[in-house]
Amino acid sequence: MGLRQDVLNEPVSSLPLRESIAVEPETVVRDAVRMMNDKRLGCVVVVDREQRPIGTFTELALIEALLDDPDAMNQRVGEHLTAQWDSVKQSMPIASVIESMQTQNLRFVVVKDDDGRAVGLTGQRGVCEYIAEHFPDTAMRTRVSKRPYVDQREGA
Amino acid sequence: MSRPARHPESHKSNGFEDPLSNYEAPAYADDMERKLAEESVATVRTEPVTTVTPETTVVETMQLMADVHVRCALVVDEGSLVGIFTERDVLSKVADNFHDVKDQPVKSFMTPDPIVAYETDNVAVALCAIATGGIRHVPVLDVDHRIVGVVSPQRLMLFLQEQFR
Repeated sequence: MGLRQDVLNEPVSSLPLRESIAVEPETVVRDAVRMMNDKRLGCVVVVDREQRPIGTFTELALIEALLDDPDAMNQRVGEHLTAQWDSVKQSMPIASVIESMQTQNLRFVVVKDDDGRAVGLTGQRGVCEYIAEHFPDTAMRTRVSKRPYVDQREGA
Repeated sequence: MSRPARHPESHKSNGFEDPLSNYEAPAYADDMERKLAEESVATVRTEPVTTVTPETTVVETMQLMADVHVRCALVVDEGSLVGIFTERDVLSKVADNFHDVKDQPVKSFMTPDPIVAYETDNVAVALCAIATGGIRHVPVLDVDHRIVGVVSPQRLMLFLQEQFR
């Protein structure tokens, strides 16, 4: 099958998943930032007391928070959460991830199992990694400027 | 003076061997693979793009990024790309000491010499750079190394989604 059919037919579980970080709205921004740095993730998922996702706190939200108030690092993530988020089931096709991210302007989506439990995150990078597997020669020849290796990945 | 007639086999007697005689065009499983492998990265949306100088302060750069709704700024010195400053740099290098560093020049926090694509590269080159290079933003340059724009995963997703219409 070709790439188009693979994206339309293969399940989300074929994508590389990242472990998500769940925090409560009372978590201090500084602590959320430390966790994002430790896991090299671009967001944390904000959950309620029943562990249900109610939003995300992202790098973009961090920039806006710091510009709004340089002391934002000491505030709660609940004050800066992005309420817009989406989830997909593992059994849904990969195309549903692309559709969800594009229509809602998201960089990642929460992946749930068939019982509705969150099992991880996937997003734009995951889709890029999946598609790159269809171009192994190009991936091997990718120009890396004067630096043979990157020091640190750039996020989810 | 008339030109001598050119015989189709004459190059063989001259010892010339056509380097493309055994060339086989690449076979793609479908049109989506062909577009990624053959279409120029310039066909992906690469704008808007934000540029700053190495001396622009961190907070000014962040404000520009927020105003233009982009996740990175290209750092340009005398017309040449010298670095990139992304939201990941804010997370990992700036946020913890924002009070102390916000008025410092962005050159102290940028990633120098970023991975780039040229506008003549195909879309798959930019996609593979993001997938394997551990980066999210690939500046696109023209043949004279001038900035054309930036390819991000979001813009690649837009390109992919258009293939399904």
